[in-house]
Amino acid sequence: MNRKVTRLRALLWLPVALACTCANAQTTAATPPAGRLLASNCFQCHGYNGKSSIGFERLAGESSSEIYNELREMRTKVPPEMMDLHARGYTDAQIRLIADYLSKQR
Amino acid sequence: MNRRDFFRLASMAGAGVSAAGLSSLVRAATPAQLGTVPSNTGISGRVVVIGGGMAGATVAKYLRLWGGTGVAVTLVERETTYASNILSNLVLNGQRTMTSLQFGYTNLAARYGVGLVKGDVASIDPVSHSVTLTDGRKLVYDRLVVAPGIDFDTIPGLETAAAQAKVPHAWKAGTQTTVLRNQLLAMKPGGVFAMTIPAKPYRCPPGPYERACVVADWLKKNRPGSKVIVLDANPGITAEPLAFANAFNVVHKGVVEYRPGVTINSIDASTMTLNTSAGNLAANVINAIPAHRAGKVISDNKLANVGGRWAGVDVLTYQSTVAPGVHIIGDAAATTQPKAGHIANQEAKICADAIVRLLAGLSPDPSPITNSACYSPITSDTASWLTAVFAYDPVSGSMQPVPGASGEASARSQDNYKEMFKWFNTLMEDSFA
Repeated sequence: MNRKVTRLRALLWLPVALACTCANAQTTAATPPAGRLLASNCFQCHGYNGKSSIGFERLAGESSSEIYNELREMRTKVPPEMMDLHARGYTDAQIRLIADYLSKQR
Repeated sequence: MNRRDFFRLASMAGAGVSAAGLSSLVRAATPAQLGTVPSNTGISGRVVVIGGGMAGATVAKYLRLWGGTGVAVTLVERETTYASNILSNLVLNGQRTMTSLQFGYTNLAARYGVGLVKGDVASIDPVSHSVTLTDGRKLVYDRLVVAPGIDFDTIPGLETAAAQAKVPHAWKAGTQTTVLRNQLLAMKPGGVFAMTIPAKPYRCPPGPYERACVVADWLKKNRPGSKVIVLDANPGITAEPLAFANAFNVVHKGVVEYRPGVTINSIDASTMTLNTSAGNLAANVINAIPAHRAGKVISDNKLANVGGRWAGVDVLTYQSTVAPGVHIIGDAAATTQPKAGHIANQEAKICADAIVRLLAGLSPDPSPITNSACYSPITSDTASWLTAVFAYDPVSGSMQPVPGASGEASARSQDNYKEMFKWFNTLMEDSFA
């Protein structure tokens, strides 16, 4: 039974995996990639999918743990700069989703 | 683009989705850092967007980026370019030109295949799902997004075009911004610049205070002895209270006179006198910002169901609470969020995501987050900033500020001033490029 569940789980993730490995976020499934809408809060300053070339630091392709840890550190900074306040707006789970999404952008 | 898409676009009778628009979609040379429109999402539908400001441009772009080529997007806009309100206070002190604040729609068409229709809306029919333009053209939609921005009440005494030209609001960047700049230039030392701030909600909460600072800074250097008298209908500074209290009481002390809780009864443009709840006041320049309401297309089409001024929406989708299939984003929508360009851009993304999901037969994201951010110049080389994060609260069905995630700069700085332009450039790129 466990094996069956595992296999089913793997199948459930297949569309997500496909969506993420395609270049330029070419989605093949109707379901939007997890974290995309949350991560779009970054695009105003960091560019589409975090690929800024004219503004604040580029986020696309950084490792997920790097983005996650950086955002978590920002939450404790005093006095807070703009990003330090912004980072306080998300739960750990949401930060994880954002970090995972941005790390997969190329 | 497949055959079906072509015929869907082509069948949008008179929608202005030209052959040029279609071919540009195919051969669009897209800079690597910008997105490309996917062709294999399996999602299809027709979306008409009314209004090409911060919200409308962003929603058109992201509907294509996230919906793919099967989502036909037509943007209806009466102007050829969008004039940015953000940074337009810097036209007043000569640091920016109005020309440098213009943003066109060709990127949206060429890079993302957004169909452009230059025209004005006569009526919306939410039953037959169609929009009729003043020239008779009719656009049929599966989903409609209305993003008209704001309109103004008429201040008693300023009914004529001549009076309005003499007492500009300059609160929609454009000709009036230049008029106000010229009036400043014509001031003599020791003059009085009076400005009025309407009761909340109005567009860009820190904007009027920022304007008072920029004008005061310019007058101090160029027309010594002049004063900026700020008549605020609100009981106190509505945004960045620390930065602006410091600016009024310290940085621009003796130049800015801030008078809260003052409402305007009427303005006489011939004698340049304001009749206010605190008596009469004469000034050399009067910059009167009237009370706001949603753009006219909202009230014309019975969508202004909040206080008769604003469009009520469900903030999970931005769908109207009175007209199914019609979504309202940006300043025209009645939400708990500020009326400003940066957050309008994020509302547009939530709306685009929701529409794409709805077209695919899915439910909208149940827990969206938006953020607001902006920089406010205090002098010609220093700025402060303001930020807030809003999360969906299922109990009230509204966007609520996340505790601890809002605030303003601890002090104005030159670094903030430089970052302001970076922010502006990236925000405009995310919306128009």
